[in-house]
Amino acid sequence: MTPLLEVHHLTKFFEGLAAVSDISFDVGTGEILGLIGPNGAGKTTVVSLISGTLMPNDGELMFRQRPIGGLSPFQRARLGIGRTFQIMRPFPGLSVLDNVAVGALFGAGSERRGLARARGEAAHWLQFVGLEHRAQQRADELGGPDRKRLELAKALAMRPRLLLLDEVMAGLTNAEVNDVVALIRRVRDSGVSILVIEHVMHAIKSLSDRLLVLHHGQKIAEGAPDHVLSDPRVVEAYLGRRRT
Amino acid sequence: MKRLAAWGAAAVAAMALALVPCIGSPTLVQFGISTLLLATLAQAWNIIGGFAGYASFGNSVFYGLGSYGTAIAMLRMGWPFGVGLALGAALAVVFAVAIGMPVLRLRGHYFAIATLALAEVMIAIVSNLDIAGRNIGLVLPLLRGDTMFYELSLGLLVLTTLTVLWLSGSRLGFGLIAIRESEDAAAVVGVNTTAYKVCAFALAAFFSALAGGIHAYWITFIDPASAFDISLNVKMIIMAVFGGPGSILGPVIGALLLASISELLATEVSTAASLFFGFIIVIAVVFMPRGLADVARRLPQLRWRYFGDNVRTHRL
Amino acid sequence: MLLLLQVLANGALLGGLYALMALGLALVWGVLNIVNLAHGAFIMLGAYVCYYLFTLAHMDPFAALPVAMLLLFCLGYALQRGVLNLIIRAPMFNTLLITFGFEVVITFLAQIVFSADFRAINPDYAGANVTLTGVTVPLVRLAAFAVALGLTAALSLLLNRTRVGRAIRACAQDLVAARLHGVEPRHIYALTFGLGAALAGAAGGLYGIVSQINPYIGGALTAKSFAICIIGGLENPFGVVVGGLFLGIVESLTSVYVGATYADVASFGILVLVLIVRPTGLLGRTT
Repeated sequence: MTPLLEVHHLTKFFEGLAAVSDISFDVGTGEILGLIGPNGAGKTTVVSLISGTLMPNDGELMFRQRPIGGLSPFQRARLGIGRTFQIMRPFPGLSVLDNVAVGALFGAGSERRGLARARGEAAHWLQFVGLEHRAQQRADELGGPDRKRLELAKALAMRPRLLLLDEVMAGLTNAEVNDVVALIRRVRDSGVSILVIEHVMHAIKSLSDRLLVLHHGQKIAEGAPDHVLSDPRVVEAYLGRRRT
Repeated sequence: MKRLAAWGAAAVAAMALALVPCIGSPTLVQFGISTLLLATLAQAWNIIGGFAGYASFGNSVFYGLGSYGTAIAMLRMGWPFGVGLALGAALAVVFAVAIGMPVLRLRGHYFAIATLALAEVMIAIVSNLDIAGRNIGLVLPLLRGDTMFYELSLGLLVLTTLTVLWLSGSRLGFGLIAIRESEDAAAVVGVNTTAYKVCAFALAAFFSALAGGIHAYWITFIDPASAFDISLNVKMIIMAVFGGPGSILGPVIGALLLASISELLATEVSTAASLFFGFIIVIAVVFMPRGLADVARRLPQLRWRYFGDNVRTHRL
Repeated sequence: MLLLLQVLANGALLGGLYALMALGLALVWGVLNIVNLAHGAFIMLGAYVCYYLFTLAHMDPFAALPVAMLLLFCLGYALQRGVLNLIIRAPMFNTLLITFGFEVVITFLAQIVFSADFRAINPDYAGANVTLTGVTVPLVRLAAFAVALGLTAALSLLLNRTRVGRAIRACAQDLVAARLHGVEPRHIYALTFGLGAALAGAAGGLYGIVSQINPYIGGALTAKSFAICIIGGLENPFGVVVGGLFLGIVESLTSVYVGATYADVASFGILVLVLIVRPTGLLGRTT
């Protein structure tokens, strides 16, 4: 089965420091790939390189077997790559409904959608994430967990084929984390491939089909969650070298 | 229901305005022409400043290009007024697209200053061009009959406002609002921010240029300082902001209101008009930064607290 | 060749004065993120204060500078504390409008009180020149240049070596942290704006000595000051010096070698170019 996203030898320098160095991996259709690693490992950089917010110094990106390296962020969004931001960026003055409607209006295959229809779809997505009771509130009035749901709904309304989630579970209680995990599973079941960055270990372990571990910008492990998490190099990256 | 009533009122007002030349004095008609053109400028600014959130301090450039395009077409080429207007508008749109691409990459203060600088450069450049009559300016053919100019100006204002109305329910308009609220988020969600911003800039240029062309023919004389009048920029911005940036009727009402009161004061206390403008700006920006439109929207539940809250959220 | 040297010298002297003019604007912009459209009006007021002290009180114009600075400081402090502090967290565009409002009111009042006639400050030594290697340098312009550079250095010292300066820089960087360390932002902000106005006042006094003044000079001077801030960059106070010198020399060269009417084209043309190509200015860092 041909992979949805192919990343080949991706490299990104910031003022001489390699944030991401020679990273290669695939994301298959309908797969949930977890991206983990200590802080500063380069995870958000990888996501930004895929969504087009950053341009790589070297390497190739293929989405549905087509190179996307030269495309701007909005073009990649139109192709079907959606992302959430770690530091959330809602449209503050717009209502929650309209925030999501923007996603519906401009996402993949949206050329024929009018405003009214986009709002209708937005309502559907709000229900999906559980925010329909806040549809008419201003986006900047929302609290933390609701903002994350809004980010998710906005990204989903774009009808992405690949969804890049950047730490959607940070700062949530255990119950809220379980809700989000269930939500992400439902998203995958609807046919969307997902790349998740997360620090909440038990969540990402149960959610992911495969895990990818980054450390100092390099890939140090890849494979099934149990296998990867017991890899000594991964343990060392997180906890430091064992003093014997 | 409330919206329908508002639209009905607007339509009636437009028709009433159209009848002014029949019943009003010549001075009133002249005041009307100036005000309607100013209102058009405010409404045009609304597209780039109110909807897209890019506060241009240089739309006078497009106004001036419209003036000079019309004048040059009529004087140097002998073309009729309509063709002159079209030339002026085309000039302005081309300029907006060409200069818009680099300049719209700037944000906030830098964009405001860049547009202001463009306006200044234009004055300086045109002052050195022979075809534009250098510093001396150009004299257009005289056409008597303010009524024609009045109805033309009114028609332009209505056209501009209808465009803004269309914008507010369209994909383009929504995209512009998204850009205003959070440009990076808009890009990532699929909005072609560059194309949309340039489009808004070009639309603003188009209507501003038409206003300039009409003004030039009416006044029959233009020179660089008056055609690219920098003070117009602040007038149009204040009118739009006072009325309600991003709303449909706000800039029109703001323009009509401010111009009327300023004119009243001018006749009573001669030059106090400037003083009045100055104070209005300060009061409006401090106590009602979202303009009259926002006040009108909340009218049923409006309390003094609204104004106090505006200050509280924005103070140090 | 001699002409070129003379033109460069004129440009440099002009540039020094320009730098002082822009300094106040840069300070307020960099610290408070306020672009003060009334800056030119402050310069104009400073010029008139010195003018009247010179003609009515027979004070030497250079001696009148501190008085002008003090008066403008008070005005600036009051405006910031009373009005600008109220909208400081609103979108930046609101401050642009309000400071424009100030400009309109100040210009209007000035025109009523001072009348629209052109005036100039002409001390007895106004015509004195000094000639170095064939280049004629008017003494007043040289003195103005020296005062301008001196005040720039003084500001730099103030910001870097005094408690007040540290407080100002703290507010510029992180308001919350500054508050936690006992800094009162309302006062510091007002102080900063007052300082900016004072510097503008000094520039105005010097401007009045070397050029003619009337109530309407504010607008063009504000525009020039912007240009200098952008060209030089807002990263550090010496960017303003670089920007001022650059603009002064360009204007001088353009006036002589191309034509006097092209001087404005040159300055604003360069401004637009800089904004498009390198918005952070010649000395700024590109992020």
